[in-house]
Amino acid sequence: MTGIIVLILAGALFVPQYGLFWRIRRRRWLHSRQAVEDALAHLHQFQHDGRPASVESLSNTLGTSTKHTLVLVNRMAQLDLVVVTGQGMRLTAVGHRWALQIVRAHRLFERYLADETSVPREEIHARAHRLEHTVTEAQVDKMDADMGHPAFDPQGDPIPNASGDMKEIESQKLVDWPAGVPALIVHIEDEPPEVYAQIIAEDLHPGMVITIVDMSPVRVVIGTPDAEHVLAPVVAANVSVREAPTEDTEPAGVPLTTLAHGEAGRVVGLAPACQGLTRRRFQDLGLTPGARVERVMQSAFSDPTAYRVRNTMIALRREQSDLIRIERAPRNEQEIDA
Amino acid sequence: MTGNEIVSETSTKATAGEDILGRVEEMQRGLDGSYRDEIVEAIYLDAEAITRKVVRTDETASYPWDQKLDRIVTSRIWGLPFMALLLGVVFWITISGANVPSSMLAEGLFWLGARGVELFEWLGMPWWVTGFIWHGVYRGLAWVIAVMLPPMAIFFPIFTILEDLGYLPRVAFNVDALFKKAGAHGKQALTMSMGLGCNAAGVVACRVIDSPRERLIAILTNNFMPCNGRWPTLIILATLFVAAAFPPAFAAMAAAGSLVLIVLIGAATTLLVSAVLSRSFLRGEASSFTLELPPYRRPSILRVLYTSLIDRTIFVLWRAVVMAVPAGGVIWLLSNIHAGGQSLTVWVSQWLEPVGRAIGLDGVILLAYIIAIPANEIVVPTIIMAYTGAGMMIELDTMAELQHLLVNQQGWTLLTAVCLMLFSLLHNPCSTTMWTVYRETRSVKWTVVSGLMPLAIAFLLLFIVAQTAYWIMGLTGW
Repeated sequence: MTGIIVLILAGALFVPQYGLFWRIRRRRWLHSRQAVEDALAHLHQFQHDGRPASVESLSNTLGTSTKHTLVLVNRMAQLDLVVVTGQGMRLTAVGHRWALQIVRAHRLFERYLADETSVPREEIHARAHRLEHTVTEAQVDKMDADMGHPAFDPQGDPIPNASGDMKEIESQKLVDWPAGVPALIVHIEDEPPEVYAQIIAEDLHPGMVITIVDMSPVRVVIGTPDAEHVLAPVVAANVSVREAPTEDTEPAGVPLTTLAHGEAGRVVGLAPACQGLTRRRFQDLGLTPGARVERVMQSAFSDPTAYRVRNTMIALRREQSDLIRIERAPRNEQEIDA
Repeated sequence: MTGNEIVSETSTKATAGEDILGRVEEMQRGLDGSYRDEIVEAIYLDAEAITRKVVRTDETASYPWDQKLDRIVTSRIWGLPFMALLLGVVFWITISGANVPSSMLAEGLFWLGARGVELFEWLGMPWWVTGFIWHGVYRGLAWVIAVMLPPMAIFFPIFTILEDLGYLPRVAFNVDALFKKAGAHGKQALTMSMGLGCNAAGVVACRVIDSPRERLIAILTNNFMPCNGRWPTLIILATLFVAAAFPPAFAAMAAAGSLVLIVLIGAATTLLVSAVLSRSFLRGEASSFTLELPPYRRPSILRVLYTSLIDRTIFVLWRAVVMAVPAGGVIWLLSNIHAGGQSLTVWVSQWLEPVGRAIGLDGVILLAYIIAIPANEIVVPTIIMAYTGAGMMIELDTMAELQHLLVNQQGWTLLTAVCLMLFSLLHNPCSTTMWTVYRETRSVKWTVVSGLMPLAIAFLLLFIVAQTAYWIMGLTGW
């Protein structure tokens, strides 16, 4: 008997959709900052792409029922964030400003997570999405200043500045690019995550220079200085490129790891994949073009390796020394500025 | 200046300011990503030019001594054995050097205690005042000083010399590959070395790790390096049980070897827990790692003595004393407040007994660890105070008497010693360390994890060890 009562009670509380627990959660969500901000971001995205946003598109993105989306839209209209017109919903000036703040916070967080932490690339979007609702405008301003007003997020999307201006870049889809012409990757779309994961697996970054080697309806073969990558055309469509600048952005030379024990070389530059904290740290250590590096020691497990840079011994893991491009010094030059 | 002029001047200033800010914003938009690189390169070019002008370098000097030393210390074959050997030698010096002064100190302090009791009896003090002060508080204090001062006064200066020499970064260099596999930062080896001194200091040292994820891993696992508060426990057990099992000639060496083994088990646990954490709750890849290997320096003796004796030995001893006084009092009270014909110590330790037995220890040891949460230094004195109680007037002024108490009267075996050493290595950090974890992470959640995770690991491992041992003993009819 008691068992049945407990079961009924538990049902009333936890039955999916209708249980009291879920109702309360949904109510709380509907009144949360996150619901409003996610809706604003969606409307902004559609407006930016020139697509009309509707209640359907909104409830699809938010994963809520049409009924609840309507409640949310009404609330946002009361707050003077959206106006509903015959063509769908449109952001008001206030709504637009707020939306830009969220986009700004999101992309700054992505930049931060990519540069300063070791969060895996495929998790960055989701984490930034959670964090973007936790900060005030003043905190976002401070973050922007602390990071030196970055112009682009790690995928190549422009980051709005405090007044909402963005630096837009002309680009073309990789699939529309002519074969054989060097192209600079300027943007990688991070949604859907399944497609983005494939791009990550090929280790493609904005800032890389690539050439299409071969293209067929089933595969796109692209070449980078070090390797060839094969992508499905659907995947390649999420990569945007533009003409590679004439002076090479990718520093020439060979990775530091190719240096043999006791050999010396000169730094040519740092790979574009090397960003944020790692790049700054390398520069602090004096790994600037022209600096002399000599490989001096290897640890017991063969990694890390110690190099002498500007008369200081520095140990680097293999992944890092791969990011440093050098040219081997000729034998007779090896001793000159030791 | 008239008011109007001021107004017009400030308003032009304001518009000028806005103009400048506008220009800045405009120029910022026009910059491409590489301007930082250009700034750094320009700074280095300038610095190089200045250096060439004003610094004269000796072309022939090319660190011959450093290179020779590095060739051994970071050798692919000898690097790791050298590390273990060095650790063993440090422990061996500590143990064999601390024996004599320790027993002399104990003798002196307990003699003083006996005179104190006589003085109080002569003054006609009530028995409980004499008991509380001389058998409770004073005895705890004397123990802490006698047991801890000599090993620390030897261990810390040697350790400081190694630090000063520049050896520690080489250790990090040697073992980095293991940390990389565990998804942790190579500098964690440095924070672990600091933990050998004091875990709270080790936790603070984790600031050298830039990536928050890897810093948190280093903070949560720092406890698996035995700090100086736990060294006395480990050293006493190594001397009493491990050394005793060997002929006198090898006794100190065997004890030192067992301590090296304990540190290695601690390091292995650190790596294992780091690997598990970085594949579960703190998922992520190893971030960038750059480690500077400074040239070897001649240690400055005065500084070594100062930092090791004043900063560490005295600081640690003072903390131990401050904590031992109330703990000694608490133990005396627990032993002398009787309820239902038994003292509170007996009640609590009886209640803890089954738990203790299951993991190879006993109720009194667990009770001692609860009382010793503020400071691990007082575990052994607390155990002894709890065993002897206030009524029993035995004076443990030599190691032999201590051995008699533990082995013959309380039935400790090699298994008890092994389990206690492991428990001492793995159990929860002291309250100071936990408070430091909170200050560094600002998170109640991670502070709780830093306390409960090691405790759970300790209980689990000890349970397995003890039950396996009981099972084997049952089979062999031991």
